[in-house]
Amino acid sequence: MTGIPTTGAVKRAAVMAVQVGPGLLGLVVGLALLLGDDDRTVQLQAPLWVCLATVGLVVSALVVTVVRDSRLRSAQAAAVAGAVRTTREEADVRARAEHRTFVSRLDHELKNPVMAIRTAAGVMRTGEVDEQLIGIVDSQSARIALLVADLRKLSDLETAEIAAAPVALEPLIDDVVTVMRDEIRTRGLPGRAIEVQLPRIPWSVPDVSGDADLLFLAVYNLLANAVKYSAPGASIIVRAMEGSGGVTLEIADTGQGIPADEVDAVWDELQRGSNARGLPGSGLGLPLVRTIVERHGGRVQLLSREGRGTSVRLWLPFGPAASRPAVPTMELQVVSPAERASRA
Amino acid sequence: MGSDLSRQGTLLLVDDEEAITSVLSRFFERAGFAVVVAADGEQGLAAHDAYHPDVVVADVRMPVMDGREMVRQMRARGAWTPVILLTRLGESADRAVALDEGADDYLNKPCDPQELLSRVRALLRRQVVGRQPLTTVTVLACDGLRVDRITREVTLDGQEVALTPRAWLLLDYLVTRPGELHTREELLTAVWGFDFPTSTRSVDARVSELRQALRGYAVRIETVPGVGYRFNGDVQVGAQ
Repeated sequence: MTGIPTTGAVKRAAVMAVQVGPGLLGLVVGLALLLGDDDRTVQLQAPLWVCLATVGLVVSALVVTVVRDSRLRSAQAAAVAGAVRTTREEADVRARAEHRTFVSRLDHELKNPVMAIRTAAGVMRTGEVDEQLIGIVDSQSARIALLVADLRKLSDLETAEIAAAPVALEPLIDDVVTVMRDEIRTRGLPGRAIEVQLPRIPWSVPDVSGDADLLFLAVYNLLANAVKYSAPGASIIVRAMEGSGGVTLEIADTGQGIPADEVDAVWDELQRGSNARGLPGSGLGLPLVRTIVERHGGRVQLLSREGRGTSVRLWLPFGPAASRPAVPTMELQVVSPAERASRA
Repeated sequence: MGSDLSRQGTLLLVDDEEAITSVLSRFFERAGFAVVVAADGEQGLAAHDAYHPDVVVADVRMPVMDGREMVRQMRARGAWTPVILLTRLGESADRAVALDEGADDYLNKPCDPQELLSRVRALLRRQVVGRQPLTTVTVLACDGLRVDRITREVTLDGQEVALTPRAWLLLDYLVTRPGELHTREELLTAVWGFDFPTSTRSVDARVSELRQALRGYAVRIETVPGVGYRFNGDVQVGAQ
């Protein structure tokens, strides 16, 4: 519909034509007569009161037009300003509410480890120092350190420069799954099998655009969650599908799931499911994933049923076709005898 | 403990938080250092002049004179004692800013004391007495390779080399620490400023990107199987 003006523009043009038209017409005709050496004159004879009334009416009409126009403009400006103010006030109220929620969650996350450390210190002051007490101080302070480190990551990622290099998803998913299988082995979490389903026919998933390290971190966090919230015997699956304009990655598990009334809040900072209390975590893993994906121009979605499992989907836009990785080339290197000797 | 002290050297600890200095000084003393404590940047400078420490660990945010200003003044006086700055949430350890300050290393506060100790030891190993540490130099040269750490311009035999921001950070980290062996985890953290779950391939991909850009000089980045990478070469202070 390009080239067709809106109704408002049409109206404005019509009003302008009516206002300026007669004046312009008079000017053009007068100019034509002047150039055509037309020296006819018009002598108008009218009573004085008619002349005065006519001049008065014209002046009044002019004043009315100008005043009405400026009033209209200021009313429009006031309306716009009012709308902006309302939006800003609403945003302020929302930001204050979010801040309050954040602080109360931070308070919640900090008070338990702090209380544990203080209690341990109190016991130690009585002269009773044992491995358990030292262990509590160590693990609880580590918990606070993790929280602070994750907050820092999140804050860094919100402003970090995001690369736009082509990222091949297949090797990335392979890497994450390899790292996670190692962790499952070393942390003694048997019975959690990770399956990977990637399309090969008719072709593999295309590259996406972005930073491989950060996308690794996002997929790793999701897979770590799937493992953490699953009991032995649970199934975990990583899928990738090509869609319009991008690739959807899905990490699904048959783990403990999230209560229905808490699903919407999982992407919020420091929000942890009521059934996740006994498990370690800062409540910043999913916000980190969301920040990474959104900074890549993508979207996140989470579906969950308590007791049944969870599916998290990431949609990431395709990488630019022109920047597909080039085939590595080999080069001859000239090495001086001295250099060869120093390397040996 | 006299022999221990002479073995590890003197460490100047600058922090206004007594809870930190009292515990950290005990920790470093246990590790064999003679520790001198100062409560702010001004006291830090005075202690530096009086005790000539081998290494300085300083907080950034302090009253009277902050850690960044203290390092600036130390460098302005021509003192090249290696410095580790402890930064906090929101205090970006931006490389350009860092270079301007002249600190040799950064660590996020709170940090693991063992990690801090290993950084201190790495700095002491790297230091050549009386020579400006490469981490504080603005232009580095190694044969035909020239790295301008302010403009981020890299040239090979006079020809400009195009690098992605992360590849640049990786090169910067490697050339300022020649001959040192770095694990993949360390390199990944160095270019990002925070810990990552490790994937060997992620760092390998960055290194191969860097090697491709460096063409004939790629051989200088040595792969140490099963451990990580090392940059080999005689890195010098380059002409501005």
